[in-house]
Amino acid sequence: MKLYWQIAKNTWDQAVAYRASFVIYRLRNILWVLTLYFLWIVVLPENTTLFGYNRAQIITYVLGTSLLSSVVLATRSQDIASDINEGNLSNFLLRPMGFFRYHFARDLGDKAMNISFAVVEIAVLFFFLRPPLFLQTNLFILFLTLLAIAVGVVLFFFFGVLLGLIGFWSNETWGPRFIFYQLLTFFAGNLFPLDILPKQVFRFIELLPFPYLLYFPMKVYLGQLAPLAVYKGISIAVVWVFLMYGITRFVWLKGLRVYTAQGR
Amino acid sequence: MKKYISLWLTMTSRITQIAFASRFGVVFFTLGKVIRFLFFLIFLVLIVSKTKSLAGYTLWQVILFFVTFNIIDIVTQFFLREVYRFRSYIVSGSFDYMLTKPLSPLFRSLFGGSDILDLITLVPLLGFLFYVLNQIGGITIAGVVLYVLLLINAFVIALAFHIFVLGLGVIITEVDNAIWIYREMTALGRVPIAVYREPISWILTFILPVAAMITFPVQAVLGILSWTGVLLAFVFSGIFLLASLRFWRYALRQYSSASS
Repeated sequence: MKLYWQIAKNTWDQAVAYRASFVIYRLRNILWVLTLYFLWIVVLPENTTLFGYNRAQIITYVLGTSLLSSVVLATRSQDIASDINEGNLSNFLLRPMGFFRYHFARDLGDKAMNISFAVVEIAVLFFFLRPPLFLQTNLFILFLTLLAIAVGVVLFFFFGVLLGLIGFWSNETWGPRFIFYQLLTFFAGNLFPLDILPKQVFRFIELLPFPYLLYFPMKVYLGQLAPLAVYKGISIAVVWVFLMYGITRFVWLKGLRVYTAQGR
Repeated sequence: MKKYISLWLTMTSRITQIAFASRFGVVFFTLGKVIRFLFFLIFLVLIVSKTKSLAGYTLWQVILFFVTFNIIDIVTQFFLREVYRFRSYIVSGSFDYMLTKPLSPLFRSLFGGSDILDLITLVPLLGFLFYVLNQIGGITIAGVVLYVLLLINAFVIALAFHIFVLGLGVIITEVDNAIWIYREMTALGRVPIAVYREPISWILTFILPVAAMITFPVQAVLGILSWTGVLLAFVFSGIFLLASLRFWRYALRQYSSASS
């Protein structure tokens, strides 16, 4: 445990070492949030509802998904592909630690860094914009939200690793990752709450793993889901976690067989 | 001039060959850009079709803002892609090599790596632009001419910004982050500037060039841009370009060739 704590801490230190890049990355995030924030403020005047959301709920959704992105989507798994392609994976294979646990610890370090920045950003935005926010006070709903976020974190971890493992077969891993993030922005609900889509489309998306990364935890937080829908959602997400774990492990073992330590 | 056009064609041809050597990447990159465009378009259609208008603009007019932003973004990236590689030239000392060539180092640093990948999506986008203009209706030839002129003007502003970034790269080897700030800043123009609350909309109009780059061309083609606005856009780009060139010359004088 102490080993993985140190790995997470090292990842934090790495992010601090490249402060400028990290700050700019976060600044980009703020500009994106601002676009969505003002867009929704204009389309949703005070005391009106649209798609079943009032202003406070939609603004909470926009700012909440921004904060949640820093928790769920922050990852260092993009380094896996370059480690494989440059042969650095060989060093790792000789060390007495688990591949998945090592990268999960790195993800946690990166998430901690992102969360600390996101909290400051949201506080600054709150200070300047004074947005109407929905504050959830029901402790049980807050517990379910945390549970949904935790499942989302694990689920996204396997996606990140799986994309990195493409490195076993190709040098060009940025292309699939680029497409994945475009799909994620939409299907995870980073752009808008997914339930504003036509019903049939939304029902289909609900079966995919992506909504359980951002959209679902935010809906739980907003208290807009019936208890049965919350349990159903968490169950689907857990099934996806096991499925993704199986696929990732299978691909990892397959990849090790074709690994040639090229570049060392 | 002829020499530079010929050189640009040769350099672009080489970069294109390199890009297409990795076909897998080409397919994913292009597809990813199309997906990104479509998803944001769906988002706009969803909300504006429900509210009927956004900051006083109809759905097709809002889409025109988004399409115009994308055209400027694509054209800028196509011509000025080399700026993204500039830092490595400075850090590795390769910039010295550029300085010794009988070719403007600024030209080489700006236009030396035009990437055809950036242009693939432009053709269907232009087709979509014509469709959008047709849907809006009441577009005049004069409006279209002014739109094109203001798009060229937007490119000049983008060019000036990239020259500033190159200058910054020479002095403090910082390029990537500055470019990203520029891109995210202009991305605020995906939607009409009127969406943003004061003082942000004022800043985007009078301090940052987002309005002059994206809002003004759209307003011109819609016939709602005042002549003061047109004048302001051209004066802004002229001053910005001159200032960027002066900064570039200043940066070159500071260059110490420390990496070579």
